[in-house]
Amino acid sequence: MTEARVIKNIKDVPAEDLYTSGHRTCAGCGAALGYRMLLKAAGPKTVVLGPTGCMYVANGHQFLSSPYAVPWYHTQLGAGGAAGVGTAAAFRVLMLKGKRKMEDDINVVVYGGDGGTSDMGFSGLSMAMSYDYKRFLYVMYDNESYANTGIQASSTTPWGASTTFTPFGKIKRIGNSRMKKNVALTIAAHPGVRYVATASLYPPLDFFNKARKALEANGPAFIHLLVPCPKGWFFDPKYTVELGKNAVETGLWVLWEYENGEFHLTHKPQPRKSVDGYLKMQKRFEHLTKDQVDEIQRRTDKEWEYWNEMDKQKKIILPWVAPA
Amino acid sequence: MSSARTTSRTVTKTLPKQRLWTGTRAIAEAVKLADVDVIAAYPIRPYTGVMNSLAKMLADGEFMAEIIVADSEHSQFEIAKHASAVGARTFVGSSGVGLAYAAEPIIVTALGQLPVVAIAGCRALDDPGNFGMEWNDVFMFRDHGWLMSWAKDPQEALDMTLVAYRVSEDHSVLLPHFVAVDGAAITHVSTLVEPPEGDKVDKFLPPYKPMFPLDPSFGPVTKAQHIAPSLIGPELRKVVDNSISKSRDVIRHAWTTYSKVSGRNYPDFIECVDMDDAEIALVTMGAYSKDVIHVARKLRKQGVKSGVVRLRYFRPFPSEELTNALKNIKAVGVIDFSYGYGSPDSASVLFNDLRSTLYASGSRPAMMDFMFVGGREPSVEHFEQAFKLLQKNANKGLSEKQIIWPTLKGETS
Repeated sequence: MTEARVIKNIKDVPAEDLYTSGHRTCAGCGAALGYRMLLKAAGPKTVVLGPTGCMYVANGHQFLSSPYAVPWYHTQLGAGGAAGVGTAAAFRVLMLKGKRKMEDDINVVVYGGDGGTSDMGFSGLSMAMSYDYKRFLYVMYDNESYANTGIQASSTTPWGASTTFTPFGKIKRIGNSRMKKNVALTIAAHPGVRYVATASLYPPLDFFNKARKALEANGPAFIHLLVPCPKGWFFDPKYTVELGKNAVETGLWVLWEYENGEFHLTHKPQPRKSVDGYLKMQKRFEHLTKDQVDEIQRRTDKEWEYWNEMDKQKKIILPWVAPA
Repeated sequence: MSSARTTSRTVTKTLPKQRLWTGTRAIAEAVKLADVDVIAAYPIRPYTGVMNSLAKMLADGEFMAEIIVADSEHSQFEIAKHASAVGARTFVGSSGVGLAYAAEPIIVTALGQLPVVAIAGCRALDDPGNFGMEWNDVFMFRDHGWLMSWAKDPQEALDMTLVAYRVSEDHSVLLPHFVAVDGAAITHVSTLVEPPEGDKVDKFLPPYKPMFPLDPSFGPVTKAQHIAPSLIGPELRKVVDNSISKSRDVIRHAWTTYSKVSGRNYPDFIECVDMDDAEIALVTMGAYSKDVIHVARKLRKQGVKSGVVRLRYFRPFPSEELTNALKNIKAVGVIDFSYGYGSPDSASVLFNDLRSTLYASGSRPAMMDFMFVGGREPSVEHFEQAFKLLQKNANKGLSEKQIIWPTLKGETS
């Protein structure tokens, strides 16, 4: 196994775009930025499966246009894992049977949202991660809600966030009362998975290099990509990357990877900024009281004891924070 | 006899190689003969046996395919759909509530114009966890662009599976295909089956060639992107409608060609028994049609002018063939294993489709619906009774009661 084709300089990112114009995503859409970076990393010999979600609804629609310069096929909301497996299975068997020319560098990539992945598609994702297809990567772009249907809570919506299904109200004084599901940790529990990582739009090459490593990991891979969403998080679109950076620098979003049984933090914010600044940039958190913000800080700090310990031991330990 | 014994010449006749196979095993043999590439499995009775057989064949190296053990029927049908989009020949299947769980991918497979072939082992829908046989599981998808054929026995199930690939993969059709087999009565009953020879099947079924494969070597195809309904909504529906219309000729031609492969001659859309001079007829599909035919022939000996029509295809619905077959019939009954709560007369699905077909024809026979619902098995006595009621109708005009549940306890009919 050769080393993955990671890059160290932003100038080495391929100039060619495979996710191009022809879509109508919101200004400042984090998921669209992720798409663009993902396909730059994967290259032209890639088939992309798009479960229903923002990146389905917003990437077509007008004038029958398509932003994809690689083969792309929609799949149903909960079907990203199954679609990836079906596609990868077809390539492998058609090559083995001599029905298609043999090539070992065809990527199968699923780019699915948090709702379709962590909720409805969880079963199919788990199945997909239990097979052994090479160059098979599932990226969950996480904008922390069902954003295209109008910002409804998913199981990756953070505690406290106001969404249309978990609104702040006169008697319910907290928005979402569930904790954000750590999807990547659940995927790491699949023995056949070869690469698991969390990623962000910041640092700039973080996601690009993780996607490269994932595709070249010799087996199924999963990346949980946090993508700020101006529409659902309620912030000025010019701050998308800034928020991605803040999520990392406050330690609310932890960047790590798990490969060959070893865990590593890939970015250690030192010192971690207080969560307050990140939360204040987003209107979905505007109702939080000081006590509630303190509670988020307490949990974050406690969790980081685990993250640091994991990094030290190179092993996954499930973070546990007792409820207040 | 005696001369044969004394002759010195020996007459050698090669008997066709027959096997004793259940319906599910026979279909698995068809999948092997078709050299299917990707199979997606998930267990539910009574169809499961086909996947058991295929898994063992693959484990023994009898042919090469990817078999995916899926996490649900939803994933199963998605796997088949996406493997087909790349260009693989695919096989999938389910029964009862499994088909309900897979409804979403089943529907979009037809819209994706993908020639997936699925076996449906017909089973009653829940509740209760009914192991009985009903057709409502497959009928859920009767309006969604899937071709649907109903086999009468394991032999026909094997033949229909091979023909299904041929028809579905025809570039003027490109629609998925359900091969429906009645649960238990076909899936679990062994009869003699004669598989066609492999090299003849290879010629009948060359590898699937998709028109627009989802493959980087072909080019950047974008498939099923989100679109405004005002742009191509009706046109997308029309594409499927045109394809299913075109399938009629493709089906006819495929069975003619297949008769040369198998040496068996099937009628294409409907099988007619004693219909030339029949006055009353029962219309049905599937495994029990053999019993219905048995009863009709018995009544013939008693002077009753009885006939039977068996549908081999439910979609596309053989309207023209049925209209012709029933044009001189005074009373027609439907032996049906489905229900349509609240539909016209709360009758069965097949009954209402047939009645709709006959509305446009010149002849308007009296019609009766015999609904064998809830999974309780029918007997030949029920079919005899059905013919007798039809005879009464034919002689005296329509009786008051047209919709009958023959196996329902507590109701006299």
